[in-house]
Amino acid sequence: MKSIIKAMFAATAIAGIAGTASAQGVGIEKIGLAVPNLQADYFNQIKLGVEGYAKKLGIEVITVDAKGDTNTQVSQVQDLLTQGIDAFIYIPAGAAAATVPTRLARAEGIPVINVDREPEGEPGDTVIYGENILSSYEVCSHLIGLAEGKGKMVIIHGQKGTTPEVQRYEGCKRAIDENPGIELVDQQWTQMWSPDEGFSIGQNMLQAHPDIKIIFGQADAIAMGAAKAVEGAGLSDQIFVGGYDGDVAALESLAKCDTPFIVTATQSTQAMGVLAVNSAIAVVNDAVVPARQIPNAVLTTCENAQKFVEKHP
Amino acid sequence: MGSELAQTDVGDTVTGGGEQKETGRFKLSNLFGGSTGPLLGLIALCIVLSFATDSFLSLRNFLNILDQITVLGIIAVGMTFVILIGGIDLSVGSVLALSMMVLGYLNIVAGMPMGIAIIGALAASAVVGIVAGILITEFKVPAFVATLAMMSIARGLANMITDGSQLIGFPPWFNLSAIIRHGGFLTTTVAIMLAVFVVAILFQRYRAGGRSLYAIGGNPEVARLAGINVKRSTVLVYMFCAMLAGLAGVTLAARLDAVQPSIGIAYELDAIAAVVIGGTSLSGGTGGVGGTIIGVLIIGVLRNGLNLLSVSPFLQSVIIGLVIVLAVAAETFKHRKK
Repeated sequence: MKSIIKAMFAATAIAGIAGTASAQGVGIEKIGLAVPNLQADYFNQIKLGVEGYAKKLGIEVITVDAKGDTNTQVSQVQDLLTQGIDAFIYIPAGAAAATVPTRLARAEGIPVINVDREPEGEPGDTVIYGENILSSYEVCSHLIGLAEGKGKMVIIHGQKGTTPEVQRYEGCKRAIDENPGIELVDQQWTQMWSPDEGFSIGQNMLQAHPDIKIIFGQADAIAMGAAKAVEGAGLSDQIFVGGYDGDVAALESLAKCDTPFIVTATQSTQAMGVLAVNSAIAVVNDAVVPARQIPNAVLTTCENAQKFVEKHP
Repeated sequence: MGSELAQTDVGDTVTGGGEQKETGRFKLSNLFGGSTGPLLGLIALCIVLSFATDSFLSLRNFLNILDQITVLGIIAVGMTFVILIGGIDLSVGSVLALSMMVLGYLNIVAGMPMGIAIIGALAASAVVGIVAGILITEFKVPAFVATLAMMSIARGLANMITDGSQLIGFPPWFNLSAIIRHGGFLTTTVAIMLAVFVVAILFQRYRAGGRSLYAIGGNPEVARLAGINVKRSTVLVYMFCAMLAGLAGVTLAARLDAVQPSIGIAYELDAIAAVVIGGTSLSGGTGGVGGTIIGVLIIGVLRNGLNLLSVSPFLQSVIIGLVIVLAVAAETFKHRKK
C-alpha cells in the first residue's frame, strides 16, 4: 500500500512538471470507468491502476460502481456518456455481461476498452483480461505436488457461467486429470466470489468429507474463507488451500504463511489498468490495438509473496 | 428545511379539502393524491442539481432518467397496492428473476414466439403471487414470512431453469424496444411504465376495487363487515404485484438483452424505499400510486445526479440512505403535528 501511495505521489509530481501539455498531447481528457463491484479487491486494484496512471497523464477519470447489478451498470453508463467522456473502460457486471453499454458508447463514437471480460456478440476495441487456464493449472499442480499426487480434492467455484469461473476450472481440471491419484469429490458454486460463501461452503464440504487433502478456491477471497473453515475444524495440518487473483490481503497472508492457504496466482491488476488507459489513448489516435491483450499471472507461494506485498504488479 | 415541512402541511390540507369538495379546479397535487411534500422535495432536488452540474438539465438526461427508473417504477406500483392493504411483498426481486428466466427459456431454448414467452413469464409470476396471497389469507401466515418464503422459492426456481447460467440470443427488435426512442421521446419500455402508471392511478381513484384497498388497509374487519371480499381482494393484490414484477422483468430483459437468475437481488428494498419516500404508510390505508411515482423519480433523479456529479460510489449509498431517513422523518413529524 505504501508503495502505491509513493507511486501516486511520484505520478503527481511528474504531472505537475509536465503540466497540461501532456493531457492535450494524448488526445483524451476524460475517461469513464465502469466497475462491477469495488468491494472486490481485484476490481479495486484495476481502478487504482487506471486512476494512478491517468492522473500522471493529466486525464480525468470518472468511476462508477454497479455493486454487482447489471441494470445499475447500464444506467451508470448512460450517465457517463452524458458527461462527455472521450473513452470508456468497461468491466461488465453480473453473469450476463450487458451488450447495451458497448452499443451506447459506439453510437456516440467513443472507444470501448473491455477489461476482465467482454459481452458476447458486442466486442469492444480491445479486451484485456488475466490469463486463467495456464495459471490455474499451475496453482492446482502446485497443490497436488504438495499432497504428493494423491488424495481427495474439492473445488469452490466463483459465480457460475462467468469466464474466469469456466476457465479456472478448465485449467485446474487439466492438472487433476494428469494425476490419477487425485479424486475430485465435490464442487460447489458461490454467487459473489465472497469469503463468507467460501467459509460456509468449505465448512459443509469438510463435514461431508473430513479426509479432504486439497481445496482450490477460484478466488483468494473464497480460498481464504475456506482456509478459515479448515482452521476452525482443526485440520490445518492435513489440508492445502489454493486461491487465485493475488489480492492484497491474500498476499499479506501468504507472506506470513501461517494459514492452510499457501498458494495463489497473482494477476497484474494494476498493470491491466495502465494497459487499459494506454489502449484507450491508442484507439483515439487511430493506432492499431490487438483484439485481445492477456497479461500473465504469476504463481505466488509463501516464498515470493513478500515482493508482491511491497509492490503489487 | 423547516419551511419546507411547513409548506408540506399547508399543501396537504389544501389537497384534502379539494378532494372532498370537488371544486373542479385542476390541482397538480390532486393528481398525486396528498404527496405534496415529496413533490416539493423532488422539485428542490432538480433545482439544486441543475445548478450543481451542467449535464443535468437537458431533455436527453431526462429521457435517460425515465429509462433508468422503468424497472423500479413498474415494481413500485405493485408494491404500493400491497402496502396500501397493510401487507408487504419481499419476493418481487426474485419474481422478476423468475419471470426473466421463464421468458428466456421459452423464447431462446424452446424457440417460442416472444408473445407466448411473455405470457408464460407473466403467468409464472402470477402463480407465485397467488400462492403468497393464499398463504396469507387461508393459512394466516404473516405477509412478511409468506413473501420471504416465496422470495427464496422463486429465486431457487429461477436458478433451476438454466442451472444458474445466463441466456442470451433474443431477437434484435427486443433489445431495440428499450433503445429506440419513438418520436425522439418514448422507448417502448418507458411507454409500458407510463401506461402502468396511468392505469394504476385511474384504478385507485375511480374504481370501487381501488377504493376498497384503502378500507382493507385501514381496518380489514370493518372492510369485511362493509361487504368487501377481503380475502379475494388480498389474493388479487399479491397476484397483480407479482405480475407487475414479472412485467418489470420483461422490460429489464429487453434493456439488458440477456437474462440471468442472479438479477434483481434487493430490488424489493428499492421498491419499498420508493413507496415510503412517496408518503405511503407502511401500516397501510394511506398514500397511493401518485406519491410512489414521485418517490421513484426522487430515487432515479438522485442516483442520476450523484453519478453526474461524480460522487464516489461509497458516499452515494450514504446519501440515498439519508434521503430515506429524511422522508420518513418528515412524514412522522407531519403526523405528530396533526
